[in-house]
Amino acid sequence: MGLNIAQRQTVLSSVLAAPSMAFMLVFFVFPCLLLLLYSFWTARSFVIDPTFNLDNYARTLTAAGFWRTGFTGLNNGLWTAIVSVVLSFPAAYYIVYRARGNAAFYLILLSWFSSYLVRVYAWRTILGTNGLINSTLMQWGLIRQPLEFLLFSPFASVITLVHIMFPFALLLLVSALRDVKQDYLDAARDLGATRTQVLLRVIIPMAYKGIVSAFMFTFILAAGDYITPQLLGGRDGVTNGLLIANQFRSAGNWPLGAAMAFITLGLFIGIYLVFTQLLRALRLAPGLRFHEQEHKPC
Amino acid sequence: MLRLYLWIYLLFLYAPIVVIGMFSFHSSASLVFPFEGWSLRWYVQIFDSETFRSSLYNSLLVASLSSLATTVLGATVALALIRMKGKVREAVATLCAAPIALPGLFLGIALLSAFAQMGLNRSLLTVTIAHTLYALPFFVATLRSRIDYFDPSLEEAARDLGASPIQAFRMVTLPILRPSLIGAAILVFALSFDELIITVFVSGNDTTLPMMVWSMMRRTVDPTINAASMVAFTLSLIVIVAAGAAFWLQQRAKTSYRTSPTGVDAHEPSDRATEERAQVVRPLQGLE
Repeated sequence: MGLNIAQRQTVLSSVLAAPSMAFMLVFFVFPCLLLLLYSFWTARSFVIDPTFNLDNYARTLTAAGFWRTGFTGLNNGLWTAIVSVVLSFPAAYYIVYRARGNAAFYLILLSWFSSYLVRVYAWRTILGTNGLINSTLMQWGLIRQPLEFLLFSPFASVITLVHIMFPFALLLLVSALRDVKQDYLDAARDLGATRTQVLLRVIIPMAYKGIVSAFMFTFILAAGDYITPQLLGGRDGVTNGLLIANQFRSAGNWPLGAAMAFITLGLFIGIYLVFTQLLRALRLAPGLRFHEQEHKPC
Repeated sequence: MLRLYLWIYLLFLYAPIVVIGMFSFHSSASLVFPFEGWSLRWYVQIFDSETFRSSLYNSLLVASLSSLATTVLGATVALALIRMKGKVREAVATLCAAPIALPGLFLGIALLSAFAQMGLNRSLLTVTIAHTLYALPFFVATLRSRIDYFDPSLEEAARDLGASPIQAFRMVTLPILRPSLIGAAILVFALSFDELIITVFVSGNDTTLPMMVWSMMRRTVDPTINAASMVAFTLSLIVIVAAGAAFWLQQRAKTSYRTSPTGVDAHEPSDRATEERAQVVRPLQGLE
């Protein structure tokens, strides 16, 4: 062949990338575009009518039910993300800077592989009316009636989702903190920074990307989860994820469900922007800090 | 203080699983304390069930097929990424990572619409396709650090020393990538074995194990669910521990090279490059 090495590398890399690119185009890009197209169509008695219109979006945006369930979903997601990231951070910190071995880290990761449903089921057993907490408290005579709010409430959904997300949040935080070398912390301490200052001005800004991704992943996974709220959330715990899922199961309205999904996705993106702006405002994000510090020596 | 905190953290993670494990061996149908004694009756009952056995088989089948498919797709794209530069590389990597940023629900309904449009009937095949799509980003992410720090000049050096392209691949590239490939494939197996959110939309009449447990949970509170979930848990555990052990043994056998099986890496890029060079020398010596 009359190709030089660089050309041959290009041909080879294209050939190697082809199967996965084809797979992604057919089973990812095409389905997403199709779903977008669906959201502008209408379904009448199981037949899809492909005329472009915005009815589904108008109908969803004006439905009080969608906003109420949407709020529950976002609420679940936000609480789960905040609690998971905040409570996993000290554990990640310990694993990266203090722990001698990696045993605790592996143990936590191992629990990631305990089935998702096992955990949902476990929490149902623990929180239920006749569950572990209620029956124990009643045996001890601390309460007379079982605490009903424990199960079938947004609280039950959030505690379960937090339990599911912990290992995931921890993994992302640990890999972010591993990039912040001990030397940087030592240097900051040598220059007179307090422990709090090291945390707020060195560790968090340097681990910013990892913290944002831990927050966003747990948020998206928790807010988009429709199975946990369905099994544990009760009547108040219905999320728009469940609403969307129902449109696609049984005899639902696919175009309407598609429109709901895109609106929900829009809300997620909105949350992402708010969250990153908030970190900026709190001066925990990197960037611009160098100049600011000239005015405020620590 | 922090040490105590870590213990509480671990306790919170494991206590619910331990509770379920205990009650799966409970001799009575009661799901509350006091614990009345041990028995295997729920396991006997669950393994007697035809639905349980077939859904377990389906899950194992789907997990094997999707980890095979993901490994083929993921490994080829990783080899392509090593050779790519600039914008093209960025685009390919982004496309491979994109599904990870979308909720499972979204992927599920998008795939459902696409399968309906293509006239593909929902079956274990569509489940396998869905799991492959869901797992590929995790697979590529696990390989990411290997790909980013892989030095293509190693392959070129092998070629200069007279290796054919296939020999260079077999003796240089593959040994460097293999531990990560194995780890990533096992991760995919575990992800697929446990996947429910997407599966709900794309599965036909053949149910997977999570699907079966889910439908049991919606119907009743039944102690056999404990046993069924523990079987699922134990199987994932065996797979992961086996993978970890295989990974560890291989690492030990090869060099003193240390990496965690999770893709999280404690090494600096520069360390890594030196170590990779060191690792490559050995097979090359046999080439001559």
